[in-house]
Amino acid sequence: MTVDLDKRLRPGRDYYLALGLEGSANKLGVGIIRHGVGEPGPHNSAQVLSNVRDTYITPPGEGFLPRDTARHHRHWVVRIIKRALADAGVCGRDLDCICFTQGPGMGAPLQSVVIAARTLAQLWNLPLVGVNHCVGHIEMGREITGAQNPVVLYVSGGNTQIIAYSRQRYRIFGETLDIAIGNCLDRFARVLKISNDPAPGYNIEQMAKKGRHLVELPYTVKGMDISMSGILQYVDVLAKDMFSSTPKKNKNLVDQESGELITPEDLCFSLQESLYSMLVEITERAMAHVQSNQVLIVGGVGSNERLQEMMELMVNDRKNGSIHATDERFCIDNGIMIAHAGLLSYRMGQTKELKDTVCTQRFRTDEVWVNWRDD
Amino acid sequence: MTDRVVQLVEDILPGIPLQVVSQGAEAVVFRTGVHPYTAHPSLTNPNQFIIKYRPSKKYRHPKIDASITKSRTAGEVKFMHRLAKAGINAPNVVSADFKRGLIWMEHLGEVLPSGEVSSFKNHLWSVERTRSPDECVSEDIQRICEQVGQLIGQLHHNDMIHGDLTSSNIVLQKKVPYLIDFGLSSYSGLAEDKAVDLYVLERAIQSTHSMYAYKYNQWLLKGYEAAYGTNKQNRRKYVEVMGKLEDVRQRGRKRSMLG
Repeated sequence: MTVDLDKRLRPGRDYYLALGLEGSANKLGVGIIRHGVGEPGPHNSAQVLSNVRDTYITPPGEGFLPRDTARHHRHWVVRIIKRALADAGVCGRDLDCICFTQGPGMGAPLQSVVIAARTLAQLWNLPLVGVNHCVGHIEMGREITGAQNPVVLYVSGGNTQIIAYSRQRYRIFGETLDIAIGNCLDRFARVLKISNDPAPGYNIEQMAKKGRHLVELPYTVKGMDISMSGILQYVDVLAKDMFSSTPKKNKNLVDQESGELITPEDLCFSLQESLYSMLVEITERAMAHVQSNQVLIVGGVGSNERLQEMMELMVNDRKNGSIHATDERFCIDNGIMIAHAGLLSYRMGQTKELKDTVCTQRFRTDEVWVNWRDD
Repeated sequence: MTDRVVQLVEDILPGIPLQVVSQGAEAVVFRTGVHPYTAHPSLTNPNQFIIKYRPSKKYRHPKIDASITKSRTAGEVKFMHRLAKAGINAPNVVSADFKRGLIWMEHLGEVLPSGEVSSFKNHLWSVERTRSPDECVSEDIQRICEQVGQLIGQLHHNDMIHGDLTSSNIVLQKKVPYLIDFGLSSYSGLAEDKAVDLYVLERAIQSTHSMYAYKYNQWLLKGYEAAYGTNKQNRRKYVEVMGKLEDVRQRGRKRSMLG
C-alpha cells in the first residue's frame, strides 16, 4: 500500500482517537478506537478502547417503529457516550474526530443520533466524519479478522449484499431483490410469536436446533441475487394453518416420511436451512466470479452459527479457501465499526462540514470512495 | 479445486480421462477426449467434449440438495435442447445423468494467450490488460458486444430466460459468442423477467468491467434491440422490456436498506 494515512497527525502524538456513534436501526452504539501512526496491518492493529451498546427491544409479535426507536436513542445517547468515555479513560478533547452513521438506515433514529454527534463536535471543537454503515461493517470485519481482500457477505436486519472490492470501491455483486434476510427472520418470528429478546434471529437459531423435519420451501436464486419474500409468504400460510383454532388439512404440515406433525421448531429449522443455503450459494457464485478464496461474513445475521458452519463447509471445498467471521460484539451493529471506518476516512482527509452532515436513508455501499485502499 | 470432487466424478466415470477446466460455484467443468457412444460425432469439435458435474453440496440439507441437483440438471438439459431447436448459439448436449448431476456436451471456445478459456470476460480482461484504452472500445469489441446483445435478444424473443447472465457465462469461439451455463434458466414471456435478466448482466458488466461498462452496456443493448427487428409487434415487445428495465434499475437503486 502506498497511501499516506498520516497527513492529519496531531503534533506531539503518535496515535489517533475517534469516537463513533451508531444508531441506524434499533441498536444504539458508541465506541472509541485508537489507531497507531502508520499503515494499518497485522503489526499495527487498531485498539478497541470501548464498545458500548444498548438495544431497543420490543415485545414478541411487534417490530421496532422508527419513532419509538428514535425516542429510545435520544433517551440513552448521553448515558452511553459517558460510559464509553469512562470505559476508554479518555476525555472529549483527546479525540481527533467524531464519526457518525450517515446512512443507510431508518430516518428518525439516524437523525436523533446525528444531533448528538453535531453537539459533541461543537462542544469539543472536533471535525465530523460521516460513515456509510455497510462500509463500517466491512472495514471492522477486515480489521478484526485480518482478511485482506475477501468477498464480503453482509447480512443484517436491513441488508443482504455480496460485496467485493475493486478499484477503490466496495462493489455490490449480488443482493436481495425484495426483503433483507434479517427482515425475513424478524417477520417470521413475529408470525410465530417468538421473543425479540435478545434478538429474534438468535431465538430462531435456538429453536432450529430442536427441529428434525425439513419442510420444503421455495428456493429462489437469480444469478447472484436472491429473493426471500416468497419464502416468507409460504411460511406465513403454514404458520397460520398451524395455529388456527379450526385446523385445516394442510399436507405440508405433516412430514411425508415419518407421518409426524410439523412443529414450530421444524419450521425454524427449515427456514434457516433454505435461507442460508441460498446465501452460501450466491456467496460461492461471487467467489467464483471474482476468483477469490476468502469470505468475510459481517452484519447481525452473520453471528448465526449455522450460517457460519455452512459457509465453512462451502469454503473447505474450494482451493485454499478461508472463512472469516466476527463474534456478536462486532457483527451486530456497534459504534466501534463507525469509529474505525470513520477514522480511516478522517486520516485520508474526508471530513464533513456541519451543513453536509444530513443523514440519508438510502446510501449505497458503492457510493463511498475507499481512498484508504489502493490495491 | 479439491480432489474430493474429482474423485467423485472418477468413481462415476471410471477410465475416462478428465481434465479440470474450471470450478464454478455449483459445478465443476471437465474436458475430455472421449465421446460416450460414438467415435464419429458430428459436432463443431469432434475431438473434445465438456463434462459438467454438479457435486452434492455438503452445506445443504440432503433433501434440498437432491432436489436442487436433479431439477437443475434436468432443467439445463431441456433448456439446451430448446436452444438447439431455436438455433441459438449454445453447446449441444451429448448425454446426461440427472440424478447424479452429469451433463456431457459439446466443447466450445479456445485457449487465450494467457492460458485462460476464451470467455467474454477473459477476452475483455486480456484486452484491458494488454492493450491501449482505445483498443478496449475498438470496433472489434463493439461487434462482439452487439452480437452478445443480439444473442440475448434472440433468447428472450423465444421466451427463454438465462437467469445468470454474466460475462463469464458467454464463450467466444472464433470471436463469435455462445451462451453457456443454464443452471438457473427458466421460461417466461413476461417483460419483467426479461428485464431482470438484462439487469443482472448490466450489473455484472458494471462490477467486472467497471472502466468501460458504460460503453459495453450501450452496445449490448444496441445488439439486443437489433434482435427484435423492425416488425411492429416485436418492436412493441422490445419497448415494453426497456420500460421494465428502467423500472428494475430504479428499484435496485432505491431499495431502502435499513439496519
